[in-house]
Amino acid sequence: MASTVAATQGSVAVRKKNRNRPFVQGWRRFSRNRLAVAGLAWVALFFIAGIIGPWVAPYDYRFGDFLAINQGPSWHHIFGTDNVGHDMFSQILFSIRSALVVAVGATLVSFVIGIVLGLWAGLTGGIADAVIMRGVDFMMTLPGFLFALILVVLLGRGYWSLILAIGIPGWAGYARLIRSLVLGMRNGEMVEAATALGASRAHIARRYMLPNVIGSMAVSLAFGIPGDLAQIAGLSIFGMGLQPPIPSFGNMLAQAGDNILGFPWLLYFPAGIFAITLLSFLFVADGLQEAFHPKGGR
Amino acid sequence: MAVAKFVVKRFVQIVITLILVMTVSYILMYYSPGGFMHTTVMATALAPLQSQNPVLYQQVMDQFQSRYGLNLPLWQQIVKYVWHTLTFDFGNSMQNPSLTIMSQLKQTLPVSALLAFGSVVLSVVVGVPLGITAALKRNTWIDYVVGTVSLAGQAIPSFVLAVLMVLLFGVVFPGILPIAGWGSWKDAVLPVVCLSAANIGVVARYMRGSLIETLRHDYIRTAKAKGVKYWPLILRHGVKNSLTAMITVVGPQFAFTVMGTIWVEQIFGIPGLGKVMQTAFTSFDYPLAITSVFLLGSMIMIMNLLVDILYALIDPRVKL
Repeated sequence: MASTVAATQGSVAVRKKNRNRPFVQGWRRFSRNRLAVAGLAWVALFFIAGIIGPWVAPYDYRFGDFLAINQGPSWHHIFGTDNVGHDMFSQILFSIRSALVVAVGATLVSFVIGIVLGLWAGLTGGIADAVIMRGVDFMMTLPGFLFALILVVLLGRGYWSLILAIGIPGWAGYARLIRSLVLGMRNGEMVEAATALGASRAHIARRYMLPNVIGSMAVSLAFGIPGDLAQIAGLSIFGMGLQPPIPSFGNMLAQAGDNILGFPWLLYFPAGIFAITLLSFLFVADGLQEAFHPKGGR
Repeated sequence: MAVAKFVVKRFVQIVITLILVMTVSYILMYYSPGGFMHTTVMATALAPLQSQNPVLYQQVMDQFQSRYGLNLPLWQQIVKYVWHTLTFDFGNSMQNPSLTIMSQLKQTLPVSALLAFGSVVLSVVVGVPLGITAALKRNTWIDYVVGTVSLAGQAIPSFVLAVLMVLLFGVVFPGILPIAGWGSWKDAVLPVVCLSAANIGVVARYMRGSLIETLRHDYIRTAKAKGVKYWPLILRHGVKNSLTAMITVVGPQFAFTVMGTIWVEQIFGIPGLGKVMQTAFTSFDYPLAITSVFLLGSMIMIMNLLVDILYALIDPRVKL
């Protein structure tokens, strides 16, 4: 953590000269990392597919062609069809959308809760700080997945329920990160000066602290999204993911397991694309980490 | 004495956390819409009875409720379930009422424990040398390859890797290793590899970082100056001292392997904990669900406790 704080304070000094410097420098370092750039390209493609998927998908995700079940890849169905004649290519396109909606949504939910509680703990200290940090310790002792599993039972298996079920237990890491960043800066000269000028706490947090922690937050978000993507799929393995017929990677992985030897293409594409996507996200996150905290990584 | 005091204190903490988690889980499940008798399977089975003989149906429902104590006020249910679970009296599951949960666990827990243990051993045996190599060959292509591969291991969750392994050994190269079942040691190979991938990555990365940090210290220079040979220097002075830093970070990671075991068992069709727990939450099987929460929670926290003790044993500066 010490290096994070040091790096952030370093960027404060640079910012005084030129507002955009840290981001320009960060991008320069990021773009030198070939894996990270490749990852970014794939992630961009994934997002585009998620947005335009429903328009380019050759078939509706509910459409099952009963005359063409369990077919291998062909010109009609480039990724083949499953046991009720769903076109796998279309299924994957819709899965990308559902995966992104839930993963990005859940990450944002965790993030917003984490920011609010982290800022609160860091800025006020005292009892609020003690209580919030006990909460963080509590959440950290057990995997968020366990909480997510139970929350899904309560909330159901729709989009919103999954976003909340995965998002709510995930706040602790973000809260701890933001609190530590705030504490690192709270006693800094910049904040002292602003306080002396009569700036309110909310103003200091927004105007001086937030801009300085964006790098660290981008890194933790970039690590958070693939984590949540994996959690959604993990929930499906327990039969607790998105309710079919909404297509999702988890359901495809879970279902295809039964007839894998006969119809392997049912797994090649979903598992392959899912794995590449998670990898890409992590390469991007790793690249961001190096770009914003060059001392921390290599 | 200090160790005993520490262990007792932590043990009390673990029990309190478990009580909290079980209570929260129970309340969440209690307020969830639906119930075991309303799951699709049970509801379909009971539908004829409900329409033909509503009185008998009501009796069945009441009997079911009283058998599992679901007719009590909420707080009594919680006390009952939490207390019974804490005293290892798990009762019978709803889906499989003729077997006690304990007898199911006796069959399945050793299997999962074996997989988790195998994964810990493999991760250390592979991860530590990888990390050392990367640290010594820092900023060469070896370092980059190790870094990328370990990142890949971390990125891909064990169940996705398991699916890929099944494809590889079931479709592309069939017959080399079994992809499903449980019986010989060969059946354990693929699951253990899948479980270890993430841990190998984490171990290698932290081993590398920690060793690089350690080798910067003055005493390394001193040792070099007084003529300690290369490998003794690296192993005795470098690796030994960097292991301590690594254990704190990697310990919790291993704890989560327990969770991964359940996923991987599903895919390889291994009769472990996963098979028992899989439907506990979907079918509102209260006794089984609470037992699952208890088991996962306590295994993870006890694992963390062991790591802390190990840490103190290795590093004499650490006081418990």
